Amino acid sequence: MYSTAPARPIVTALFAALAFALFATPALADSEAESYVQTILDEASPALDAPTRAEMLDGIAALVDKHVDMRRVGRFTLGQYARRLSEAQSEAFYPLFQDYATLVYQKTLTEYSGQKLSVTGSVVRSERDVIVNSRIVGAAPGDQFADVVVHWRVYRNRDGEMTIVDAGANNVWLAIEQRSQFTSVIANNGGGEQGIDALIAQLREQVGG
Amino acid sequence: MSVTAKKFAFCAAALFWSAAPWVPASAQLSDVGDPDAYVEALEEASAAPADSEIRDPWEGFNRRMFAVNDTLDGALIVPTAKAYRAVTHRKQRKGIRNFLANARTPVILVNDLLQGEFKRAGNTLSRFAINTTIGFGGMGDPAERMGIPQHSEDFGQTLAVWGAPSGPYLVLPFFGPSTLRDGFGAGVDVAIDPLTWVRTDPAQYTRFTRAGVTAVSVREPLIEPLQQIEDNSLDYYSSVRSFFLQSRQREIANGRTNFDDLPDIGEFEEFDEIE
Repeated sequence: MYSTAPARPIVTALFAALAFALFATPALADSEAESYVQTILDEASPALDAPTRAEMLDGIAALVDKHVDMRRVGRFTLGQYARRLSEAQSEAFYPLFQDYATLVYQKTLTEYSGQKLSVTGSVVRSERDVIVNSRIVGAAPGDQFADVVVHWRVYRNRDGEMTIVDAGANNVWLAIEQRSQFTSVIANNGGGEQGIDALIAQLREQVGG
Repeated sequence: MSVTAKKFAFCAAALFWSAAPWVPASAQLSDVGDPDAYVEALEEASAAPADSEIRDPWEGFNRRMFAVNDTLDGALIVPTAKAYRAVTHRKQRKGIRNFLANARTPVILVNDLLQGEFKRAGNTLSRFAINTTIGFGGMGDPAERMGIPQHSEDFGQTLAVWGAPSGPYLVLPFFGPSTLRDGFGAGVDVAIDPLTWVRTDPAQYTRFTRAGVTAVSVREPLIEPLQQIEDNSLDYYSSVRSFFLQSRQREIANGRTNFDDLPDIGEFEEFDEIE
């Protein structure tokens, strides 16, 4: 909170312009992230049209495996406990999380079976964190998909490579819900190491491994 | 933003002081006892997101209430909803949903006005006029086809628009997931409803019937989605809490999307080590 501003209106104006430029940029759409998601949705379309349920599930799992950064999402879902995992717990947790999250994606996306999704726009939270929105193609007003916006959260790493870190519909996000569950399970089982062990045990039971 | 930063700074300072050996944490918070647990609690508080995602200090009570509701749901509401689905056609159910929504017009209108949403208040009035007449008493929704879509409001949302914080998560008996603010708002909505003030036997009967039909009508389309959530989750209670709080935020914003409050996923330095 320094105040040199009144004496130097030009400097202030320059700063204002700079600040505006800096803060205005994130509001723009990110066409690169949009086309990244559209590519995935195009790949997903044959999977969602698969003749059998088994093939559909396999198709979704392959896409999730290819595009979702499970390590990053898994770390997020542990919330404040992420740093507390021992090496052995990490080795147990991350593969189980991957299986669990894949299962959730499969069950969630099969609801859109036979549908085609298309990107409608994006919101840039930061250069490395972009939300891409999509809608069901050809949903008539009044039918169940008409008001559904499916969101994809795209993470761009320092090298510019993009991955998906979360998906949601109408502002309800999967990874955020998973974090709520996992931190709850850990906290209600004594927190810390004990709680993390309990979470791992429950995940193992859930994925049937 | 700065409030969050201040909160964080406060927590960080508190953490520092409680961790300092010359200030026994147990001396300040006698019921905590174990200083390590206290430090942990503070760490967790400082790491808690600002989006009210984990604001659940009454979790013990809420879980018990949730279990009661869940039992009631499984024993009574879901079987009734299934029976209702079996004996009605999809279009009839849509008609009943429309009718119930139309009957809620006074409550929606008052809340539209209290929020200063005059255009939406106008929509609410037009919809009522159109649907009650050429929509056969509200069973049909010709207003939707005329381009006046349905929307809902309640006093909890009005309070939110006025700037009242949601307060803690609260599971109400029968009504299910809510928050302190929204629970209070639901009470006010009952008071706003003109039918509440008609003290005759038929009005009483109508009120109870409407409450029962509303419960079943709301639950029916949720049979599969809620079952799926339950099947997928390790902890059904916290899944429902998260889904409820997330979708409630969107309702309050009247469907306008706001992604500013989302927690960061992997933007921290500590995440970079895994790249």
